[in-house]
Amino acid sequence: MKRGKVVTAEEAIRTYLHAGDCLALGGFSTNRRAYALVREIIRQGVRDLTVESGAAGGDVDMLVGAGCVKAINISYIANSGFTMVCRRFREAVEQGKLPAEDYSLDVQTIAYHGAALGLSYVPVRNMVGSDLEHKWGISDEQRKDFPKLPAKKFILQEDPFHPGTQLCLIPTPRIDVACIHVQKASPEGICRIEGAEFQDVDIALAAAHTIVSCEELVSDEEMRREPDRNTIPGTCVDAVVPIPYGAHPSQCCGYYDYDPQALQEYDRVSRTQEAFDRYLEEQVLISHEAYLSHIGDEQLRSLRTDRLYGYAVGLRRS
Amino acid sequence: MDYTRKQMMAVALSREIEDDKLYIIGTGLPLIGAALAKRTHAPKARLLFETGILDGDPQEVPTSVSDLRLNYQAAILWPQYRYFGFEILAAERGQIEAGFLGGAQIDPYGNLNSTCIGDYAAPVTRFSGSGGANGIATFCDTVIVMKHEKRRFVQRVDYCTSPGWINGPDGRRSMGLPEDRGPRAVITELGVFRFGADKRMYLAELFPGVTPEQVVENTGFPIDVTRAVPAAPPSEAVLKTLVEEVDPHHLMT
Repeated sequence: MKRGKVVTAEEAIRTYLHAGDCLALGGFSTNRRAYALVREIIRQGVRDLTVESGAAGGDVDMLVGAGCVKAINISYIANSGFTMVCRRFREAVEQGKLPAEDYSLDVQTIAYHGAALGLSYVPVRNMVGSDLEHKWGISDEQRKDFPKLPAKKFILQEDPFHPGTQLCLIPTPRIDVACIHVQKASPEGICRIEGAEFQDVDIALAAAHTIVSCEELVSDEEMRREPDRNTIPGTCVDAVVPIPYGAHPSQCCGYYDYDPQALQEYDRVSRTQEAFDRYLEEQVLISHEAYLSHIGDEQLRSLRTDRLYGYAVGLRRS
Repeated sequence: MDYTRKQMMAVALSREIEDDKLYIIGTGLPLIGAALAKRTHAPKARLLFETGILDGDPQEVPTSVSDLRLNYQAAILWPQYRYFGFEILAAERGQIEAGFLGGAQIDPYGNLNSTCIGDYAAPVTRFSGSGGANGIATFCDTVIVMKHEKRRFVQRVDYCTSPGWINGPDGRRSMGLPEDRGPRAVITELGVFRFGADKRMYLAELFPGVTPEQVVENTGFPIDVTRAVPAAPPSEAVLKTLVEEVDPHHLMT
């Protein structure tokens, strides 16, 4: 197979992600988060990132705990069912160390879609009348120090076409780099997301550079045989990183379920910075191969999804 | 059969779900209530999730609104932006019966906080944030699940993530919110609460073994308990379905 855009995670992050960038991450809470790419970002110590997270999970929490994040636009951050509020994020905000701006998840969703449509802002009726409207996490003044953030959280304006309705004009993010994990990708960068795509196609299209990790590298010819199943064209992808179990410990539809043991372990180690730092040493600042052998073949096999049901039937989760 | 307060809550949640209607479901106990309803009195109830997953039939407890367990038998897995538009349009057409939410703090008008305790600029405790709750509370009737503690049932929420009835009958209109929808019920381990013409929360149903005094003691604002009736205990058949089929490993109940 030709090499095309296929690179290692190390090369992809080194080439495309720089300190101070706006980074968007794919997946949803405990499903198809780009963990292997995030671990590489931490290994390379990329700093001062402005993170657009959507419904974030432990991956974003790890970036916060590792000191990579300068500011975050947030609507949700949890390893849902395992950690109800991600703990490094929580401590950073409670200690005033992480400027965070709150939106609602559906608003972030439509802002990312707007970004993918090339729009500067999207007018929504959400957030009006709540403290998402009334309270700002990052003021206009502070925003001058954050060149990757828009000048305002939003602007409230009466609908010029249908007077009487208040609209929130939500700025769309200018994403420098999107990192997503997909099931299949080809050397030229054609991607196939199986299961729910969440907002991954939007952030991949909106970003100046998109890095894709994949479970399987498939030939361009094979991907082009059934184009209706493809979700992102190669034109929108800069780097393809074949990396099986690249979303572990989150789910990857058609391949593996989430890893309850690993998520429970992360719940424990993320309670204190000291334990988290040890976890970084032992499970993040190591190669992906070493990480997978730490998890163990038997454990990985137990996560395999059932063909009929789509998840690991009877997986022990308590 | 004995049952726990959490199981009673799941049963009460399931009773809020009618057959053949569409509901937006959030993480946690509402997922159990919905799964229970589908296996008992409401097999054709349809479930919508903010991930864009519509109308699945989960066979095992999903731990998240993105859990692969929700995909089973689903009608469609939409990109999330489709949910955004559908939530608003379907709610306006009256096609969404209600959305289910949880939170950390609630006030007498059903305004809900899932963002932080203390000053937002320097919070004592930070939570996960709105998720899709703000949009659901903006456009749909809601059923809210709460832990019943005095520090959670407060006169005024520290942060209004999801608007309820704001401050009374005129509250939503004054804020520019759709005025004909809002919180419908609050379900706690003590009972079921509803909202009167004054849009204040009152005790509507008391769970078995709970006294009105307990409700008053654990509520941080004056609460009317005079209209309460005893909640029907769960039937053996419903409990059996809950324990044996819906949540056999006690992940949530």
